[in-house]
Amino acid sequence: MLSPERRPSMAERRPSIFAHALTPLVVPHLAGIEDPLPATTPEKVDVLIAGSGMVESVLAAALAWQGSTVLHIDKNDYYGDTAATLTVDQIKRWVNEINDGKIPYYENAKLYVSTEIGNGKYNSRDFGIDISPKILFTKSDLLSILVKSRVHQYLEFQSLSNFHTYENDSFEKLTNTKQEIFVDQKLPLMTKRNLMKFIKFVLNWEEQPEIWKPFAEKSIAEFLIEKFKLERAQVFELIFSIGLCYNIETKVPEALQRIRRYLTSFDVYGPFPVLYSKYGGPGELSQGFCRSAAVGGATYKLNETLVSYNATTKEAVFADGSKVSVMEKVIMSPTQVNQNSKNVPEQPYQIHRLTCIVEKDCKEWFSEGESAAMVVFPPGSLKSGNKQVVQAFILGAGSECCPSGTSIWYMSTTEQGVRAEMDLDAALEAMELSILRESSTDLENDNDIVQFGMNGQTVVNSVRLGQSFKEYVPREKVHFLCKLYYTQYTSTPPFGVVDPSLFEKNVVSDKFIPGASDNGVLYTSMPSAEISYDEVVTAAKVLYEKIVGSDDDFFDVDFEDDDDTQAGPADNSNYENAIDDEDEDDDMGMGKNESTEFVGEMEI
Amino acid sequence: MLQFKLVLLGDSSVGKSSIVHRFVKDSFDELRESTIGAAFLSQTIKIKAEEQEEDVVIKFEIWDTAGQERYKSLAPMYYRNANAALVVYDLTQKDSLVKARSWVEELKNKVGDEDLVIFLVGNKLDLCEGEEDLRAVDTSEAKAYAEEQNLLFTEVSAKTGQGVKEVFRSIGEKLYASKKDEILAKKNRELGNRVNNSVDINAQRPSTNDTTTCCS
Repeated sequence: MLSPERRPSMAERRPSIFAHALTPLVVPHLAGIEDPLPATTPEKVDVLIAGSGMVESVLAAALAWQGSTVLHIDKNDYYGDTAATLTVDQIKRWVNEINDGKIPYYENAKLYVSTEIGNGKYNSRDFGIDISPKILFTKSDLLSILVKSRVHQYLEFQSLSNFHTYENDSFEKLTNTKQEIFVDQKLPLMTKRNLMKFIKFVLNWEEQPEIWKPFAEKSIAEFLIEKFKLERAQVFELIFSIGLCYNIETKVPEALQRIRRYLTSFDVYGPFPVLYSKYGGPGELSQGFCRSAAVGGATYKLNETLVSYNATTKEAVFADGSKVSVMEKVIMSPTQVNQNSKNVPEQPYQIHRLTCIVEKDCKEWFSEGESAAMVVFPPGSLKSGNKQVVQAFILGAGSECCPSGTSIWYMSTTEQGVRAEMDLDAALEAMELSILRESSTDLENDNDIVQFGMNGQTVVNSVRLGQSFKEYVPREKVHFLCKLYYTQYTSTPPFGVVDPSLFEKNVVSDKFIPGASDNGVLYTSMPSAEISYDEVVTAAKVLYEKIVGSDDDFFDVDFEDDDDTQAGPADNSNYENAIDDEDEDDDMGMGKNESTEFVGEMEI
Repeated sequence: MLQFKLVLLGDSSVGKSSIVHRFVKDSFDELRESTIGAAFLSQTIKIKAEEQEEDVVIKFEIWDTAGQERYKSLAPMYYRNANAALVVYDLTQKDSLVKARSWVEELKNKVGDEDLVIFLVGNKLDLCEGEEDLRAVDTSEAKAYAEEQNLLFTEVSAKTGQGVKEVFRSIGEKLYASKKDEILAKKNRELGNRVNNSVDINAQRPSTNDTTTCCS
């Protein structure tokens, strides 16, 4: 639906083949191929975008397909900016640039690289390190856009089903599906009932205000304990591993929304809630959107710095002396600014990160056939007495981000100030100890620890492991190939739920500061601490609307040869489908009759 | 069916796109696959293989630069897992072979695959015939360079179609020959992908106008 006050898009204003923008754009056969681009630098563009991070790249693609002429630059010689995936050599350079003050809004970068990378066993480019790693929920706005824009065709996705909560000095595997709740021997029947009751509630929580409204201003932990009589272990799993919340104070509605995000994503493509892209996360996705924008007609120029923009003459000047007239807007990432930029929004929030390359495959943490895991350290679970969660995203060699026999550990926290590094170090120590114990051959013959699942796959009994761990003294050390600490600043607080207002402050730029080189420039937001991609589409849409006047035609594009032969499953508008389907899935490790019986018993 | 990724390289306006355009459109009727608007072009060919009774069907996934080569701004994604590359130069532009050489260097740096098939293609052969011969690059010069670098080489005209199909046919044959063992072990790339546990997000795609996500 077009809103009445919507101003015509640039495509509609310009006589072009895209002029029929009231119906979805139809991309002509051989678009981008049949009509080679002009050979010279454009003198006049509609939109200039500086920085090729996620938000900027999605925006560039959306605008290009909408019909705007886009010039997209990045001062770096690589794609990705704040979302880049870098080789070890590039990381070295990046760290130096941060410490030389050349990359604003990053600081305290510390790097150790083993001589085995570069001169020995490994090459720098065997590794792809994300500077803001992300996971993709299977039911999310970005996933829909990836499919719609066909950018997914440039990418390869893998599943991640293993979410661990670190408790009592060990990694507890999440009990997050109905099956797992049923078969979990540790859970008392009463707890199972309560957990089922909560899961049923949370899928349609908005429609049941009588249950949660009285707790609206309280913390989710209080709500789960008082209303659903859940125990600490389940409460922590729900809030921190499933909900991926940052601390115990998270309010009820936000937490419910986040818990549901996980549950509704589960089983969209299979028994897992999230995906990640091979060869690197947002670094790959941003390249994909940039390529899509280029096919849609955008011009790309790496190694190009915007020196100034004059809002009155609409002239943008670059470091190499070239100039371009910008008819509509200049969009800039805060990392791309120059000395006279005076309009950059405040970036008050810190994200502290510790990224390690480890010479261990860490397959003990992955599900069968997978190559990634999430580990969450809830508040108070670490030696440092952490108040905020530490989230760890682990990628193995199957992700093609590191060579076989190695893995990458991405740890991050929303803790502010000096405490943050202590928390990260404590989390690293805990992970180090865990992987040594779990991969140790000392425990191999302990039948209580290695069990066989219904499908014959081995299952590690983490409770038993945890007990054995207490007495276990590792005989070896984890060998670190690389360790990288840094702090990133952002204007986006660690949010509960994505809301456009989170990004509004970035785009208000009507003030005029004399002498500033960036008057009239719209700034994008730096990545937040959020481990999922949830903010990206919303942030891009906020900017799109500022430029085009409405977000109605955001990726409103149909490709000519679109065939609908691959019919997807029916719309999962009924949340319960996602869960109920699992009951019928015999592969999941339990007989149908048994589960039906349980469901009967569980009737709430 | 075997699937290979083929990338195009060469300076702007040497006619990279028109070679592909010619290849893909010309073979329309005979071979069914056509194009994918925003991603890349696909085209299938059949080649005869010695030990096989049936023809081998090869599908090329052809990636055009989409103009990103102009300011040396091609993404690593572009080169990744490429099986073959067409490095195109313009027979009527003297310095375009020099530039093609730098693209060959770039390719050898960026693509890890030792079996990468590189085809050096001189385009605009139609302008090098008859009275108004505009040829600026000698065949012998390019040929010597190709031999030295172990590249396949030919001259074509995208305009008349001369030599274009043969380029893709030789690439197909060479790829089949070099990947035969691997292929027999894996059968095809789809199978390989399944072993890799890749998830096809389009195959079971959720409704794109879904309003039920938490973040909408």
